[in-house]
Amino acid sequence: MADAGDHWLQSTRVAIVAGKGGVGSSTVAAAYALAAAREGADVLFVAVDGRPGMGPLLGGRELDHNDHILRRLKGAGQVRGRTIPADQAFGDYLELKGVGGMLRRAASAASLPMIAAATPGLEHLLVLGKVKELERDRAADLIVVDAPPAGHAAPFLRSAGGLSDVVQSGPVREQAVEVDAMLRDPARCQAMIVTLPEETPVTEAVELANELNGDIGLALLPVIVNACWSERPGLAKSPAMAARSQKVKLSAAAKAALASSSDFGRERLERQRQQIERLGSTLALPMVTLPRLPTPRLTLHHLGILADALMVSPVEVPA
Amino acid sequence: MTSDPIAESFVEDVGSAGLIVTCGPGGVGKTTTAAALGVAAARAGRRVVVVTVDPARRLADALGLDEGAAADAPHQVTGVSGVGDGELWALMLDAASTFDRLVREQTSSVKQADAILENPVYRAISGSLSGAQEYMAIERLHQLHTSGEWDLVIVDTPPSRHAIDLLEAPDRLIGFLGHPVYRTLTAGQRAFAKVTNAAASMFLWAVRRLAGPQIVEDTVEFFRSLANIEPGLRSRAEEVSVLLRSPAATFVVVSSPRAEAVGEAEHLIGALRDGDFPFAGVVVNLIHPMPEQLTPADRAALADIGDGPLADHLAWHDELTDLATAERDEIAILADLAEDVVVVELPLMSVDVHDVEGLIGLADRLVGGN
Repeated sequence: MADAGDHWLQSTRVAIVAGKGGVGSSTVAAAYALAAAREGADVLFVAVDGRPGMGPLLGGRELDHNDHILRRLKGAGQVRGRTIPADQAFGDYLELKGVGGMLRRAASAASLPMIAAATPGLEHLLVLGKVKELERDRAADLIVVDAPPAGHAAPFLRSAGGLSDVVQSGPVREQAVEVDAMLRDPARCQAMIVTLPEETPVTEAVELANELNGDIGLALLPVIVNACWSERPGLAKSPAMAARSQKVKLSAAAKAALASSSDFGRERLERQRQQIERLGSTLALPMVTLPRLPTPRLTLHHLGILADALMVSPVEVPA
Repeated sequence: MTSDPIAESFVEDVGSAGLIVTCGPGGVGKTTTAAALGVAAARAGRRVVVVTVDPARRLADALGLDEGAAADAPHQVTGVSGVGDGELWALMLDAASTFDRLVREQTSSVKQADAILENPVYRAISGSLSGAQEYMAIERLHQLHTSGEWDLVIVDTPPSRHAIDLLEAPDRLIGFLGHPVYRTLTAGQRAFAKVTNAAASMFLWAVRRLAGPQIVEDTVEFFRSLANIEPGLRSRAEEVSVLLRSPAATFVVVSSPRAEAVGEAEHLIGALRDGDFPFAGVVVNLIHPMPEQLTPADRAALADIGDGPLADHLAWHDELTDLATAERDEIAILADLAEDVVVVELPLMSVDVHDVEGLIGLADRLVGGN
């Protein structure tokens, strides 16, 4: 196993994990945090939209806006977790800028939603700004950011660029410029795209990669293909032929039962191979495949299986 | 045609509705389901328009919403024919241009409208104001419904973790407009320098300190001009709220059998019921097939077969059975929510739907072929 720091899991200080809805990007983000912590890293897991259940999945308490240790591993390795609510990020930001009570009172009188409405993208920027502060202060060896789901990942990450168009001066512009600098520096921040071995998710992963890499300037970590079925080469034979080659006598009913699953399986596995190949040939990125877990309800045990799979070196793209 | 038993009440509800709103988590085939409901109605002779927000590329192509097409204008979908004059049209929602239209409708002069539309703050926020996208989906639904041009309007809402995003959007917009700071900023035509309300002047001071003086001017200007259209916005939000609870409307929740999606669907169903919204049922999409089971005798015979192709068959059979069983347990959670929750189950298809033929096949599975 690679020394801590060598593996791609620790090739950057902030990893933003993003995927369209339903691909399991939050779970993959949690598995990523666990895998890096197992390698001895002090990892901070940051949930942007505070979806419930992520803290317990990592073996700790439900996440809130305070930094809590969720799980200690060997050596210095540990997973901590927190959320970053926009209003708290706002308060912290004012504190950081050393603005006095007057501005803080003004901000609370006006309430964040009003200011955010007047300064579009501000909430997202404040959250990214907080991530940037954590990174600058070396709050952890690795910060894993579970980005907002569905169509919101790109607007979230685009907030810095969008705001500097509207806001010409002042601390908000400063913050936007600093966040933009972090997003463009691969040593500080990279994005990990999560997808499924299916047609529409692969298409959307390619689009997301172009947006994040092309428009926003984020370097990309290996792309993660989640929920892959294990290859079953034996399905190429019919159940009857497979039984003969293993010298087993099968009843007609057993042959029919096995055929009822293997017909579906052959087609599914073929589709999976095609989509993984399409992803690899469209995106010039290394790829890691994660196994499909046999349950819709994940536990810490399942997260460990995914973390193991993430430790495997990524498949390099053929030149 | 289909062999699945289809709940009659679901077919009846979606067959008679003048408005259907589909909602649910992302990645479950919500847009495809909305389009298939549209195909079914068009084939039954109705004039239908489907409003979508962010369709996957190939589905967009199937609906004629390719990139060259103008956003926000309905396009007829070809290849859908049925009894009578049924037609299917599709429209990709553009929140910003719907907001523009609303501003034009609600202002008394072109000059007033231009002043709002050209404001930099307006341009930056019209698509991203809290709840704006959801509100605009509902607004567009209202506008299409009242135009009298359509027998059925279907709105595919943005993916949502909580129904609240969609259903509370009008209230959130009104809440924003009712904020004391906003009220002060928009009261009368006093110059910015004369804003005397302490909270409002502190707000402006805070914005100036944080984002610079230019944005303060734009912001005040924006709030002032928005004041002209506020009464219109407010009454529209109230009309929409009434319309969505009327017998003409019905909501369809779309989910997958994954635990996470089912949890979100549960929240949505609860919120629809709490809010007294008409609810036709939940469509559970992407269900894995349950294989035929091995008898105990056959299983015993296969106990120690060692590695080989038959072992692959057996392992796959077990894996698929476990997943299919777990999915059925999840679906049972939805069915157990209440006696009258209709659950329509749809199998995982062998190819993603990306043409009209595929939508027709799905439509038959949803409401029964004819």
